[in-house]
Amino acid sequence: MKKITEEKLPELYSHISQNHDLFVPIDQDDSVNFSLWKDGANVNFDVLKTNTSPKKYIFPQCETFFNFKSEGKKLTIERIKSEEKPYVVFGVRPCDAKSFRLLDNVFLSEPMDRLYEEKRNRGIIVSMGCNEPEDTCFCNSFSILPNSIQEGVDVFTLKLGNKIFWEAISENGVELTNKLSDLLDDVTEGDLKEIEIAKSQVNEKVKELPFSNIDPNEINRDLNELFQSKIWDEISKSCIGCGSCTFVCPTCHCYDIQDYDGNKSGERYRCWDSCMYSEFTLMAHGNPRTTQKERFRQRFMHKLVYYPNNFDEYACVGCGRCVGKCPVNMNITKVIRKLGGENQ
Amino acid sequence: MEEMISKMKKIAYEDLSTKKVDRVIGFGKGDFIYEANPIFISNLEEVDLLVWDLFCVNNLSKYLINELKNYQKIGIFLKGCDSLGFNQLVKDNKVDPDNVIVYGVPCEGMIDPNKLSKKNLLKDLRYLRRVDEKLIIVTKQGEKELIAKDYEYDKCLKCKHPNPVVYSELLESNTLRNSILTDDFEEVDRIEDMNSEERYEYWSEQFSKCIRCYACRNICPVCSCDKCIFDNLDIGVSGKAKVDSEDQFFHIVRAYHVAGRCVDCGECSRVCPESIAIDKLNRKIIKDITEIYGEYDAGLNPSKSSVLVNYKLEDFDPFETSKGGK
Repeated sequence: MKKITEEKLPELYSHISQNHDLFVPIDQDDSVNFSLWKDGANVNFDVLKTNTSPKKYIFPQCETFFNFKSEGKKLTIERIKSEEKPYVVFGVRPCDAKSFRLLDNVFLSEPMDRLYEEKRNRGIIVSMGCNEPEDTCFCNSFSILPNSIQEGVDVFTLKLGNKIFWEAISENGVELTNKLSDLLDDVTEGDLKEIEIAKSQVNEKVKELPFSNIDPNEINRDLNELFQSKIWDEISKSCIGCGSCTFVCPTCHCYDIQDYDGNKSGERYRCWDSCMYSEFTLMAHGNPRTTQKERFRQRFMHKLVYYPNNFDEYACVGCGRCVGKCPVNMNITKVIRKLGGENQ
Repeated sequence: MEEMISKMKKIAYEDLSTKKVDRVIGFGKGDFIYEANPIFISNLEEVDLLVWDLFCVNNLSKYLINELKNYQKIGIFLKGCDSLGFNQLVKDNKVDPDNVIVYGVPCEGMIDPNKLSKKNLLKDLRYLRRVDEKLIIVTKQGEKELIAKDYEYDKCLKCKHPNPVVYSELLESNTLRNSILTDDFEEVDRIEDMNSEERYEYWSEQFSKCIRCYACRNICPVCSCDKCIFDNLDIGVSGKAKVDSEDQFFHIVRAYHVAGRCVDCGECSRVCPESIAIDKLNRKIIKDITEIYGEYDAGLNPSKSSVLVNYKLEDFDPFETSKGGK
């Protein structure tokens, strides 16, 4: 394990930036989001929840598949090749790191998603543990500890005071760490002790959080019973059908494919879609879900029943972004509780 | 607050049991002290869930559109800003006022949990109450006295109508705060003072933050089209593409479509997950209308026709003068 002091971080950023696009949580206009680091950027590791999740780097909100053009009877299709640099996302919290793997389950199983795979292989994930979970955090309900090293991360870091501890996990992580060796110091016995204390303290803190008794395993997963439940009428009532929850969510991964329609040429792209929208899964015959209740139910059945039936894991990591962002305060914690997912 | 809650429960109970209404829309308590949610009540047993506190910020008026499809007569608790939204819904023929009983609730300003959070006051918050201009909070660390204005929602800081402008029953006859009568449009002036490049850059940056969640549209009491063009695939607008041109197109169309009808309730900016200055665009249009047509009064009087749909020969003709940045 290595360490670096906060004051030396800009040097580290600029070093990483030489060969990579570096994305870090940046405070701009009073809101913190992962953005491309540039000299002088206001990096903020104190805010746990960036507005939107870093999933945008592995699954962008909008990306082009190919361009097409017709000339007479000839149709030309041009594939878009990525020419972007390798990237590093620094500061990915354990919940968000877990979400990457949940997306992998979907996009990297056959048939493999070529664009996703390319982005996944091009990136290095530097995760950062949490010391002060917020009231809206409930990662623990999905067996994620705030200081856990999630599968698939390349480097794990922990910020204690003005020290950032740095531990290479994967081969890519070791390679990056070696390149930064001039900037990183070795840790002392005292440091290791400090880390141990911090870890056990935060594990105690999560037990005291307001949502700590939420347990999706308590939900009876009988598909028909849940689907037909009267509860959906009641809890979907206040939903205004916007896409805030889906677009700030690290695990939502539904997308739509559309064309920019030119006269003789065009571009086919995919973009995030939201099951909350009235035209979600609209087909030639119409829409299978015509009311907000059905759309609302879809979102939570997907996270708590359909996805787990396919992959044996829930499609929620308890980051709590939806809790903070829903305009009417209706969110997955309330849904889980209503469905019986609560420890007494 | 306690007194108000009893009044609310009493009137909801009375009106539901006498079948004066078959539905009540109000606020219920959420999971946190700093959270209140819209609730919908038809059963008498649920009346007890009604609350009123410093976090009942949502403008409930828009729910009437959908709820009136299933219920005959609805009782709804509305604050001053919400009542403007209600009036505009009536004017836009979205809600028949004969089917609604408005319980007017004077408001002394709602508290923004994000502002408390930024000062680290949200965590371990146990109790909170407002005494005139002071906000008393109790956390694990003890009691603190704060200046309420520092923690109010931005939209409340320039509140013109703390008391409902329309109601069937007013639950409290005293005005709880003074309204801010002179609108200085200071934040609009600041943008107008930019040169055109700066202004373009400012708005480009704002709109590029948009994640196209449409929370601003869906919460807005005057964004009430049955089918929004941004939900209509046949219209040829590539609605979901996350590119600058599409983001800008959405925001400009949204602002223009509510021009003259926006009641300045500030809900759009409150719900934006990326804190885009949506209300500044609305307020620029309000400022222009004020300068050109006199006092801006959307939501004040549902029977008076809107300035922008009412043509008079002597109306200002913007093509006569050259406009642009200062």
